[in-house]
Amino acid sequence: MRLLLWRAAFLGAALAAWEVIARPLNPVLYVAPSSVPGAVLRLLSQPDLPPLAEHLGITLRTIAAAYALAVVVGLGLGFVMGFWPLLAQAYEPIIAGLYAVPSVVWYPSLMLLFGLGPASKVAFGFLLGFFPVVLAVLAGMQQTDRHLVTVARSMGASRWAIYWKVMLPAMAGTLASGLRSGLALSTVGVLAGELLGSRAGVGFLINHVYNLLRTPEYVALAVLVAAVVLVIDVAAGRIEARAKQWSG
Amino acid sequence: MRREHIVVRHVTKTYRTPSGPVHAVEDVSFDVYEQEFLTILGPSGCGKSTVLGMLGGLVRPDAGTILIDGAATDGPDPRAVAMVFQDPGLFPWRTALHNVCFGPEVRGVPRRVREEEARRLLEAVGLKGFEHKYPRELSGGMRQRVAIARALALGSPILLMDEPFGALDEQTRLLMGEWLSEIRARARKTIVFVTHSIQEAIALSDRIVVMTARPGRIKDVVPVGLPFPRDLSASAAVALRARLWEQVREESLRAMTEGQG
Repeated sequence: MRLLLWRAAFLGAALAAWEVIARPLNPVLYVAPSSVPGAVLRLLSQPDLPPLAEHLGITLRTIAAAYALAVVVGLGLGFVMGFWPLLAQAYEPIIAGLYAVPSVVWYPSLMLLFGLGPASKVAFGFLLGFFPVVLAVLAGMQQTDRHLVTVARSMGASRWAIYWKVMLPAMAGTLASGLRSGLALSTVGVLAGELLGSRAGVGFLINHVYNLLRTPEYVALAVLVAAVVLVIDVAAGRIEARAKQWSG
Repeated sequence: MRREHIVVRHVTKTYRTPSGPVHAVEDVSFDVYEQEFLTILGPSGCGKSTVLGMLGGLVRPDAGTILIDGAATDGPDPRAVAMVFQDPGLFPWRTALHNVCFGPEVRGVPRRVREEEARRLLEAVGLKGFEHKYPRELSGGMRQRVAIARALALGSPILLMDEPFGALDEQTRLLMGEWLSEIRARARKTIVFVTHSIQEAIALSDRIVVMTARPGRIKDVVPVGLPFPRDLSASAAVALRARLWEQVREESLRAMTEGQG
């Protein structure tokens, strides 16, 4: 509760400072916080703008598709590599290396391959979200307490049973961290893709109002995106904390 | 004489390490009789745990044979052999009850049956009411009792215990020893127990196998032959203790001077 108060105090102070600084300046370049609620209302009532709910829906669906792909491929590849240690030894350094490359450099080629539509955004969101997932699987497997595996073996657990009943629960915390990072990065990928060139989605909407110099709406959209992402991440953080506690 | 339950003949194990081969066990032979409590006693790093690991099918000997019920071992066989380790190795994401259920679960025993059996075993190890606690909520002694219940749940006639009370404080250790003696009287198991504690060996065993410092060989096999419950201050126990200490001391000194202790 006290923490919440401190956070609220900081937020309030920041907004107040922003307001005081922005007030006397050009409202197109310096959007005061007080002008944001009005902009939100204008976005929602959309007298002259593309429908917000529809574009938000498109973005969320694109993120969901990109993330689902990242999770399925990431987990699949991670477990295959975990099952055959030689594969992990051969390819983990390559995956880790690719992860370190700023992924934006791939985006133009993805646009060429997949076009301006949602496919290129899904591809980019997938590309960003995939790495933390697969790396978390590999890290989780390496971190599993060997003694627990020995104990399970002494009780007659098969290789599969050791995977499902020992390694998977033991790495749940690490895996949840990877899945959370993957979600955040998939979101970044999709939004960045939309901002870099698209015909639909929140990123498109942001570009649209920005080009019309409707900066209060632009700030309102940015705040909206931040709020949505924050809610998702807080939920993911809760799940991660529970997984960590569970797997001990 | 009772039937030989475990037969160990000329067993040798060498580990390859980056700093050269380590001769853990060399030409070890001994028998364990049915329902006997046999303790392997020796200095740290004498290959006691390696011998136990080989009996449990976790470690493959380089040479020699191990027969259990007359059949050669090939990997872990939880129907014949259960193991308890110094680190209880409880699964932190499972409650006490579900830890005890693990063996029957991977064997495919139906949930109702295995949970009922696990409840019974937890009660037998004095943990009734702790079924739904997680390992982190239990004390060290309680955790080791859960691990023992988990081993008993395999229903095997042989129980291998690798310094099971080594990580516990002195008092808990003594109490756990007394408790194990009681359990043993009821459970009719063949037990092979590894320890470096002479007191523990005298308090619990029918026979004591003394091992040498690395490479681990058998130095002596000592029958205890004292009535239960054991009075460690009785003159026979004191004499036995002196004899064992003499032998273990030699080996510990040798291990120390060779920089292996």
